[in-house]
Amino acid sequence: MLYQMSRNTFLQRFALLILALGLGMVILACAGQPLAPQAPTAPTAQPPAAQATSAPAATSATSSNQPVKLTIWSGYPEMEPWYKEVTDAYTKEHPNVTFEILTFPLRDYEQKLSATIPSDTAADIIEVSSFVAKFVDAGLIPPAPDKIAEWNNAPGRYDAAIVKDLTYNGKQYAVPLFYGSTALYYNKKDFADAGLTKPPETFDELMDDAQKLTQRDASGNITVAGHGFRLFGAGSGVAEKFLFYLWPAGGDIIVPVGDKWKEGYNNDAGRWALKYYIDALYKYKVDDPKLKRDAEGFELGQSATFFRESWVIGDIKKNAPTLDYSTAPVPKGPKRWGHIIAGEDLFVTRTAKNPDVAWDFILFAVQPQYMQDLLRNVGWLPSRHDVDYGPVLKDNPQFAGFVFSDPNYQAYMTPAIPVFDEVETKMAERLIQLYTDASLLDNPDGIAKAVADMAAETNSILDKAGVLAK
Amino acid sequence: MDVLKPQASIQERWSDALAHRFHINRFQLSKLLFVYLSLLPILALFAFLRLVPITSSFQLSFFQSNLINPANKFIGLDNFQELLQDKLFILAIRNTTLFAIAGVLFSILIALGLAVLLAKRSRLGGLYETIYFLPVITPWVAVSVIWKWIYDPSYGLLNYILSWFGIKPIGWLIDPNIALIAVIILAVWKSIGYNMIILLVGIRDIPEVYYEAAQLDGANGWGLFRYITLPLLRPILLFVAIVSTINAYNVFTPVYIMTTGSQGAQGNAVRTLVFDIYENAFRYFKWGYASAEAVSLFLIVLLLTIIQFRLGRSSESV
Repeated sequence: MLYQMSRNTFLQRFALLILALGLGMVILACAGQPLAPQAPTAPTAQPPAAQATSAPAATSATSSNQPVKLTIWSGYPEMEPWYKEVTDAYTKEHPNVTFEILTFPLRDYEQKLSATIPSDTAADIIEVSSFVAKFVDAGLIPPAPDKIAEWNNAPGRYDAAIVKDLTYNGKQYAVPLFYGSTALYYNKKDFADAGLTKPPETFDELMDDAQKLTQRDASGNITVAGHGFRLFGAGSGVAEKFLFYLWPAGGDIIVPVGDKWKEGYNNDAGRWALKYYIDALYKYKVDDPKLKRDAEGFELGQSATFFRESWVIGDIKKNAPTLDYSTAPVPKGPKRWGHIIAGEDLFVTRTAKNPDVAWDFILFAVQPQYMQDLLRNVGWLPSRHDVDYGPVLKDNPQFAGFVFSDPNYQAYMTPAIPVFDEVETKMAERLIQLYTDASLLDNPDGIAKAVADMAAETNSILDKAGVLAK
Repeated sequence: MDVLKPQASIQERWSDALAHRFHINRFQLSKLLFVYLSLLPILALFAFLRLVPITSSFQLSFFQSNLINPANKFIGLDNFQELLQDKLFILAIRNTTLFAIAGVLFSILIALGLAVLLAKRSRLGGLYETIYFLPVITPWVAVSVIWKWIYDPSYGLLNYILSWFGIKPIGWLIDPNIALIAVIILAVWKSIGYNMIILLVGIRDIPEVYYEAAQLDGANGWGLFRYITLPLLRPILLFVAIVSTINAYNVFTPVYIMTTGSQGAQGNAVRTLVFDIYENAFRYFKWGYASAEAVSLFLIVLLLTIIQFRLGRSSESV
């Protein structure tokens, strides 16, 4: 039975209810984050976030007692201890500056950046690769101050290609921190057991060695892959690893034509690279998709060789410290000899309330002792060349493949254009399906069609983005 | 006429007019007003958090909109036309439909069986209901991570158990022909408890007198189920089917978790509609295109819901 009341009583009680709810919402709004992200400002002719490009304030927050809190984000969880070490050291020198460090798995990190950079809710300092190109293109990341460019351009300090990677329209946007470089990891015990005395020097030798290194159980199932390929997984990783075989064959995912681009693998190189995978899986059977992939597979002893970056060295120290292994340069391909490099740089976002402090911290973080610690404890290759890494390399001879130097051993990078991620991801999705297609074995026409279809999609993506060379 | 009666205020005149309009008295009107006005704050919140984003999605679907470049260009139905030619979108529809059909069918059948078994109250009935409901309340992310390990071809629990029977390791997430089945198994396992509870309530709500009468007429177990339980359970079954279908078409978390990392499932083998929307929106920043996809998903689910309602009603009339 409903409660009966007069109109006045109803109005009084309803007014009290509205007042209570309104007060509650005001309290919540003051305590919490904004409900909706702020809309990004439209790109203008002038560089956005002018405060990031203006000269540092005469009285920097580092020299005053103003409390400053800086947030740092990274897409590599293994970097967290290093950031902790460096931020603790900085806070010791500048007690008013504190830090919050957050690390994420790479793919999740990229999604997070995609949502937070446009809405100005990203961290003050972000460590990121050329993935940031699309945000720079849209004017969402401010350029670095002139002093940073002076620092980066100091002779012998950084590789020109690394500095070029963080330069957009003539302006520099970050300080290089570390880079990924590829080498061949090989299990020394497996090599010795197979009677192999040295790592392969060509891709043909790699396939021959892989057959000798592959181990099987009584039922014929592969228990140790002679060479571990990256065969599946979300994102662009599969295509990125395909490039390790494509580039030495003379191809590339996309190639520049003037200021435009087009696919670079609908050719002998692309067909050779795909055939290499198919032969490995179905003719020589040196890998089994059911085995563990990547660093985990190598650490578990389920693959005798595989290609990866130097962070695996730090991972093996933690997870498989007794593993007897080393690294070697990427073997020579039919046409070229070289390894991919990809820089990870430190950017200051326009979210930063104290960009001068942020840039000061970044320059603090790339001091020689911290670069040595980065190499020693994490395994990523520091971008600074003007530091003596001799003691670290002496204690860690596994870095041999990464510090290898030869005039003919080239370094190459993927292009820093916004649409490249979509190109690589869609290519990865096609490759994953092709690797499961046993009918491509000894089927040159099938391989040619598969590569052509894949290349057509690449060109289509470039066309829709308005960057296809016609 | 009573000349001493005070003239009615504006509020009183409005109340009288409204009450007269809706054929209710003033007291009932004030009760109704109180109810609706009290609901206003929560409705406003619902509108802000649900209706506004949904309407924005509908609007964005007609624009060429990029997450990081706010300049929107009206392109009419171009996004929808491009969708019809997008092989990945077609693949996502196919995978999602297979997932929904198999997932809904098996989860309802198994849940119905369990509900029938548990309908007769027993000493441990409550315990069984709790056990079957536990997967429902476990977060999707945690469940997906654990099942990804269960499905691991080298060290997974499932292959280990199958090895007892001499079965060779199966690449549950690696084999493109099996990966979707693996995700369906997970989804069915997680949703059985929810469907079971609802069906159980429905079965227990059927008056015993119908069963007694049928037994007097000589009906056995199967007859009781077919001629008493099933027809009277039809409205509940329709509700469960509709809710399960909507949930199945919105599957995302297990697909995302299962495809993450170098040990993850092949993306296209388990590509579903929401996963495709997520990739287009947050990987490629094509907000207009992703919004068109979301609108398409909405229309598909709406159509299926209408069809299910029609089928449910036509069965009742028969």
